[in-house]
Amino acid sequence: MQYTLLITGSPYQSKACHSALRFIKAAVSKYPNSIKGVFFYEDAVLVGSQIAQPPRDEINLTKEWQDIAEQQNIPLYLCIAAAVRRGIINENESRRYALEQHTLAKNFQLEGLGTLVDLMNTTHKIIQFR
Amino acid sequence: MKHTLIHLNASPYTSLACKEGLDLALVLATFEQPVDLCLSGAAVAILSDNQQPTPEHGKNLHKLLAGLEFYDIENVYIEKANAQLESNTTWQGVQPLDEVEWQTMFSQYQQVFRF
Repeated sequence: MQYTLLITGSPYQSKACHSALRFIKAAVSKYPNSIKGVFFYEDAVLVGSQIAQPPRDEINLTKEWQDIAEQQNIPLYLCIAAAVRRGIINENESRRYALEQHTLAKNFQLEGLGTLVDLMNTTHKIIQFR
Repeated sequence: MKHTLIHLNASPYTSLACKEGLDLALVLATFEQPVDLCLSGAAVAILSDNQQPTPEHGKNLHKLLAGLEFYDIENVYIEKANAQLESNTTWQGVQPLDEVEWQTMFSQYQQVFRF
């Protein structure tokens, strides 16, 4: 059984990103290849910001996601439209909008909703965290 | 092919949730995936005619409703209990379901996403 996770809850207003992280850790500890990918939509894309600085005595959610993505080779997709409107911008988009900075954290990538549709059709189940 | 239900429950004007839920429905339909909509809670406000939101309110999502059929999104469900929808000042393309139909609806889809 392979899962895709759709995360829509804000990392600041909900525990969606935290719960999904716990789910992934539990899933891969038993079935290493059970997560096909993670798609962040709505305010959940804020987790892909490289410039947010949580207090040092709190969880660094972005880093936790980067670590699990690297360790388990899990792709982390941010909806490009949702991300760009919230200021999460990669180098390409930065050039497109003639900006001087980019804010997308390493190990995250911007993709269209078509990528989510593709994931829906190639995994057994999608689980939404909101 | 998975049949998807997009369940809108948030107000169209207090957050982007309704808009981004509708965006997902339209993308699914564009990729020829079967998708239906259902509305509950504050999201039923989207059905009211003559909405004139300012840029601060957000986009006029009511205008999207008329275009749904061009995406082959033919089923938009609400609960019959939403009595205000009996009036003729709301979009008429919805299918009201009674309580039992509403509850059984959710298990008829392979995936349900909530916004």
